[in-house]
Amino acid sequence: MAWIKRIMSKASIRGGITMLSILFALPLGWGGFTGFTIWLSPFVMLNSVFVLKSVVWLNGLAVITLVLIFLRKRWFCKTICPVGWGCDAVSLYRKGRGYSIKKIPPVGKWLAIGSLAAAFAGIPLFILFDPMSVFNGFFVIFSRELSVPIVLSFLGLPFLLAINIPFPGIWCTKLCPLGGLQDEITAVKNVILQKQVKEERVKTITSTGRRFFLVSATGLLGGLLLPSFLTPVGKRYLQPPGSVPGDLFNTLCLRCGNCIKSCPTGILSHHMDMQNKLSWMVPEISFIDGYCLENCNTCSQVCPSGAITLFGKNAKNRLIIGIADIKLENCLLAKNTECDRCKAACSYDAIKIDKTEGAIRMLPSVIKDQCVGCGACVVICPPRVIEVVP
Amino acid sequence: MKRRSFLSNVVLTSGSLILGTACGRKIESFPTETETGMAAPVSENRNTVLEPARQIPILAETDVLVIGGGPAGTAAAIAASRTGAETCLVERYNHLGGLWTGGLVLPLLATHAIDKNKKTRQVIYGIGGEMAQRLKDLGMSISEVDPVVDPEAAKYVLDEMIVEAGVKMLYHTWATNVIMDGNTLKGVFVESKSGRMAILAKIVVDCTGDGDIFHWAGEKYDEMQYHIGLVHRLGNIDRIDKSKAGYVEMALGDPTPIPSVNWVNMHGENNQDALDVLNLSRLQLEYRREIWESVQKIRQTPGHEKVFLLDTASQLGVRASRILDAEYRLTLEDTMTYTSFDDVIGVSGAWTTILYKGKSVPRQERPLWQIPLRSLIPKKTENLLVAGRCFCFERELVEDARIIGTCLITGHGAGAAAGLAVKEGEMVRNLDKDKLKGVLLQQGAWLG
Repeated sequence: MAWIKRIMSKASIRGGITMLSILFALPLGWGGFTGFTIWLSPFVMLNSVFVLKSVVWLNGLAVITLVLIFLRKRWFCKTICPVGWGCDAVSLYRKGRGYSIKKIPPVGKWLAIGSLAAAFAGIPLFILFDPMSVFNGFFVIFSRELSVPIVLSFLGLPFLLAINIPFPGIWCTKLCPLGGLQDEITAVKNVILQKQVKEERVKTITSTGRRFFLVSATGLLGGLLLPSFLTPVGKRYLQPPGSVPGDLFNTLCLRCGNCIKSCPTGILSHHMDMQNKLSWMVPEISFIDGYCLENCNTCSQVCPSGAITLFGKNAKNRLIIGIADIKLENCLLAKNTECDRCKAACSYDAIKIDKTEGAIRMLPSVIKDQCVGCGACVVICPPRVIEVVP
Repeated sequence: MKRRSFLSNVVLTSGSLILGTACGRKIESFPTETETGMAAPVSENRNTVLEPARQIPILAETDVLVIGGGPAGTAAAIAASRTGAETCLVERYNHLGGLWTGGLVLPLLATHAIDKNKKTRQVIYGIGGEMAQRLKDLGMSISEVDPVVDPEAAKYVLDEMIVEAGVKMLYHTWATNVIMDGNTLKGVFVESKSGRMAILAKIVVDCTGDGDIFHWAGEKYDEMQYHIGLVHRLGNIDRIDKSKAGYVEMALGDPTPIPSVNWVNMHGENNQDALDVLNLSRLQLEYRREIWESVQKIRQTPGHEKVFLLDTASQLGVRASRILDAEYRLTLEDTMTYTSFDDVIGVSGAWTTILYKGKSVPRQERPLWQIPLRSLIPKKTENLLVAGRCFCFERELVEDARIIGTCLITGHGAGAAAGLAVKEGEMVRNLDKDKLKGVLLQQGAWLG
């Protein structure tokens, strides 16, 4: 019976959840379960809900986490967080040998408060610092291409682990916004408990209260002012259907890669336009051999931050990715070669093949009101003369 | 008044009255009852006429009767005759090859596809392969993969092969109805310069393209409205003077084995009913005028003065119409997954890009695909086989099912099955699959 005890011990549960998180983060084609553990992060959930002012059912998971955190201090760190597990391991190894971190201010707490305040005003400032986001970012190394943004995203997790070598425990106790959020919740809980039970004023609340106010105000102000500086520059690109508008997308997107890993036709990849650094690593559609399926909403199901709004499969004909544009010069029909592929491929009746000089020269054209930019015509066109423009 | 003048007044008045009545016009309603000797041939709403029953002479009694001499029908007749069955082939035009020759759809698509080892290989063998080989030997086809043939050479080669196989050929003859005994097909009525006649047969192969026979036999089918075109050929392509001032490059179709001749495909109007003769006539008139005008435009372009309209196709390019509801409907999935059938009658290839599971699969990556005999056998009618573009497949497959190569394969399979069924005295649907495969292999077919 001892081995059952050992398996049931806390460390094993933590290890098991870490293994599960790794499996969820790998591109294994698990559809809706891709990157599932991110849904448990209350920091991501609160940022998303504050920005979007709306919830989806899966946000309920993080609400449960919040309740558990309220009941038990730092419950998420101790039970779920794979980054925390790694950091703890490194810190334990370096225990007593590194620099003391006692004097380092609780940055994570201010990041959490500032981010949530800014989220209220429209920008989830530090959502990218969520440990689950960093953890998932590590696994982009399995993506098809390799570039500066991908390497940066990959290095996030090793960096977090590495800073624990000189400063054991620094990430989890001082820097992590999710940790800071949990501390804040515990602080609130203590205040309530002390007020209720002991009916006496807690001294510390005044000092933290002032800082709390300052940080929140800065966050709010930032959330209001920053969007004007965040207008996307560089080339326009195709975004997944149901994406929130450009500048908001860039800040709300966790760069977790869930949508990219779960897309059944593999049309999503990491955006890495060197001119447009704000959009680095966000999902971008490119039609190489796959197109956006008519009856698929996987990317919106797996997006934990809501950057891709959850949509129903039947809404696909209203979610516009772009508009198809046919370059007729090299169209097979312009040379009287047998073809009707674009028209046959279109599920939205958005392509017609019509008379130009009588029936002897029939050429395809796009009905703009019907086209959603799914890319089926792009990939089926034998001479590849169609592209979808955003 | 004098008696004389009174009388002459009376005569004049009555005469003019009679004349007036006789010459006067009045629009009467149509007579409700017929005044001829026939018994009410025109229906009450004047939509139909009753045809009097009459005795029809029997033109021939044969083992296998193939209706339609296109690629499928020609292959079927040769295959059936080679099994030893007495075979009769009925063709409405004056040539064999159907749309391949008379329709000027000159490329034999698709002779090659990808096998399980991801290598491109030839799939069209058997009688279709023989035709392609003979045309190649005559120097009348270009390229090994998807050869483009000369239509007149193809007509000649097909005639030769039919004669060699000993098929009884009936040109200028059009099948007009079926002769049924319950669910069993006994023969077909045909119409020609010799009048209406009957041909009795043990097995009929419907290679009409539009599935006329299975339609009359009362089978269920899918009716597809697709684009209909009209192909034409241009002559003197080699005499274009590119050095002439004002010369511009024009779309002049694609080369044929004759160096001076190009063939020009036409997509044509969408969603056309290929079974409505008024519609077909309208398209024919419209297309011929447009082709003429377009050639005139080419001739007016500097350098192209000598180009001329060699011919327009003798039949409209109907791509799809009736598609049979047979014992098995071949699916796109089957063609993408190397599905193998125990009653395989041949293997065909694909010629165009498709979408499969959200991804595009270009022609160069399309697998070869087997065709089962069951997709040629109607559900209800006995002694009937269907080959050519109207055999049973799902619409997603229409581009690859309607092409010349597939027609040659289904034709060969149906003909061999019909011949074997006659020889064995067996219903087609009860045929021994291994025996049929043996006959096909012996006739040079490749079954994957």
